[in-house]
Amino acid sequence: MVKTKELVQIETEIHAIEKGNLACPGCQLNLAFKHSLAALNNNAIVVIPACCTSVIQGAGKGYGMHVPIFNTAFASAPPVASGIARKLKLENKDTQVIVWAGDGGTSDIGFASLSGAAERNEDILYIMYNNQGYQNTGNQKSGATPRGAKTTTTMTGKTSKSKNIARILLAQDVPYVATANAAYPQDLFDKISKAAKEFKGNFRYIEIYSPCPPGWNIDSRNIVKVGKLANETGIWPLWESINGEVTLSKVSRRYLEKTNRKDPFEFFKLQGRFSGVDNDLIQQFMEDVEFEWKWLKKYLK
Amino acid sequence: MLNISKADKVEIWTGNQAVAEAVILTKPEIVAAYPITPSTPIIQALSDAYEEGRIRGEFIAVESEHAAMSGAIGASVAGARTFTATASQGLLYMAEMVYWAGFGRLPMSMCLVNRALAPGWSIWVSHEDLYSMRDAGWIQLIAKNTQEAHDLMIHSFRLSEHHDVYMPSMVNIDGFVLSHVAAQVHPLSQKFVDDFLPPFEPMFTMDPDDPISFGALTLPNDYLDLRKDHINSMNNAKKIFTDYSNEFAELTGRYWGTLIETYGNQTGDVCIISMGSMSEEVEEVVDELNKRETMMFGSLRLRSFRPFPTEEIQKITNLFDTFIVLDRAYSLGSDSPLLTEIRNCFYKNRADKNIIGKVIGMGGADVNYKQIIDLVISIIKETD
Repeated sequence: MVKTKELVQIETEIHAIEKGNLACPGCQLNLAFKHSLAALNNNAIVVIPACCTSVIQGAGKGYGMHVPIFNTAFASAPPVASGIARKLKLENKDTQVIVWAGDGGTSDIGFASLSGAAERNEDILYIMYNNQGYQNTGNQKSGATPRGAKTTTTMTGKTSKSKNIARILLAQDVPYVATANAAYPQDLFDKISKAAKEFKGNFRYIEIYSPCPPGWNIDSRNIVKVGKLANETGIWPLWESINGEVTLSKVSRRYLEKTNRKDPFEFFKLQGRFSGVDNDLIQQFMEDVEFEWKWLKKYLK
Repeated sequence: MLNISKADKVEIWTGNQAVAEAVILTKPEIVAAYPITPSTPIIQALSDAYEEGRIRGEFIAVESEHAAMSGAIGASVAGARTFTATASQGLLYMAEMVYWAGFGRLPMSMCLVNRALAPGWSIWVSHEDLYSMRDAGWIQLIAKNTQEAHDLMIHSFRLSEHHDVYMPSMVNIDGFVLSHVAAQVHPLSQKFVDDFLPPFEPMFTMDPDDPISFGALTLPNDYLDLRKDHINSMNNAKKIFTDYSNEFAELTGRYWGTLIETYGNQTGDVCIISMGSMSEEVEEVVDELNKRETMMFGSLRLRSFRPFPTEEIQKITNLFDTFIVLDRAYSLGSDSPLLTEIRNCFYKNRADKNIIGKVIGMGGADVNYKQIIDLVISIIKETD
């Protein structure tokens, strides 16, 4: 794993995003973007469908990123990236083609085109930052919103289970699939590097857990803590799959054992989106978490 | 006249084949496409051309029309010459991205094989699909026969890639009537196309060493500037397309007109205005009626719907007494789309003329010159 000191040095040198962009204070996707582009050494073309990142990169001529970005319509990012990747292939270029999309753009409206690009095994690294709702439009429910979470379209808490895109893509035999978390930049950096270097030429998928201060109703100062708690409570385990072989990531390994996990109440209490939600729903949410672990255990060696 | 093809070579091709063979001569690096009747044979032929090594590049067999246009957009912004084909519902499904390519000023060419919109489910020709993308910022060209479809494809790429135009362009051919009917085609030669159509020189592209952001949040003044520039470029396309048409005629001996083509009397009593394969029937109508009747008939057909040949049509507003506009579509609650456009030209000249619109041939209803003659005669009797 990349050393913290090393990572800081790389990020200072590469300088992936400018200060003072339009992200909300505490925004985790903004940090995730920085870590990811640092891992790619800015040698990337980024395709961004409608999402928070459409806005935070800047308006008009004030542009806060150091990579070429093609902003595109919601459902179109994977095929746009396919077109770019095919052209780069004809020119034998090593530049990475990235789709950088939110969870709504991935799990809902962009789902068919994501699945299509995966099926064609396009040379694309697809990164989904998961802030568990349509946060750019003001926290509406998405397919990736967890059960129990309040959004402006699930006012008393979402009653259905979230869609697990990483698992769906495993069912499509995508050669590299991983989950990550903005609160664990070293792990994220390593996964992006690995996907970029070792699986170039293939479709790759990484999903980054990205807590959202306004959407999840979290005090900005607690935002990294919430990200860490998601791991420490076992709610968001980090894993990767290489050609179908699933392994738990180092930072999540000890939480395989249930007794090592922190009390989920620690996680819930810092977030307004779970406050006042019916206990039964929260209970069901925790059962959903157990279901994910059961699935993981089946695949772990 | 230049040797355009292997001089005397004649092929018997369907419209779809004629289009595909022309596209192959333009050597597109990337084609992203999804099947839909009646345009499917075009993309099959292109897929074959890559597979057989006739052209170098990539065929992306995408999962939807939305993705087909998106793939073409990605290819274009990466600097590749690119093409796709679709029809009817396929165009509507890709509509969002058709606008993205148009407003995004991304050169590419598309063959739209005109087909009725459903329901009722119809696979035959109508022009509702053509009109649905009227305001998408695309150049819209229309062929009257298979040979013109073949020739227009080359114009389409060249016009789209010209730096004073720089926007996508579509060539419309009538479903089945042109797409599936075999006819004689004098193929263009590779040498001719290489000379006529220079390589695509992108004005901007996605380069990590010189990063740009495409399509980011745009403030009102910038938005207005973008649209103004687009309007100007669309206007530029009028002259440039006219020049290309004349140049092509000079080199090949095939004169198809400019933005419009006129036939029969250039001044007289009745001018019949139409688009697409129907225009060939109208030319027969004009010949027949000029022989038969004492009145004088002429035909005007549009080769370009966007940009609209406003000036060309204004020139004829006082040259005929009656204008009959034939259209394969109708704007519900208004009039046929072509009729309203034509009236707009007359208004600009303050010309007070009989302009009669007739919807004909929708949903694949057969249109032959005899039916048009009956229609024209009945209109003349009514207006007398």
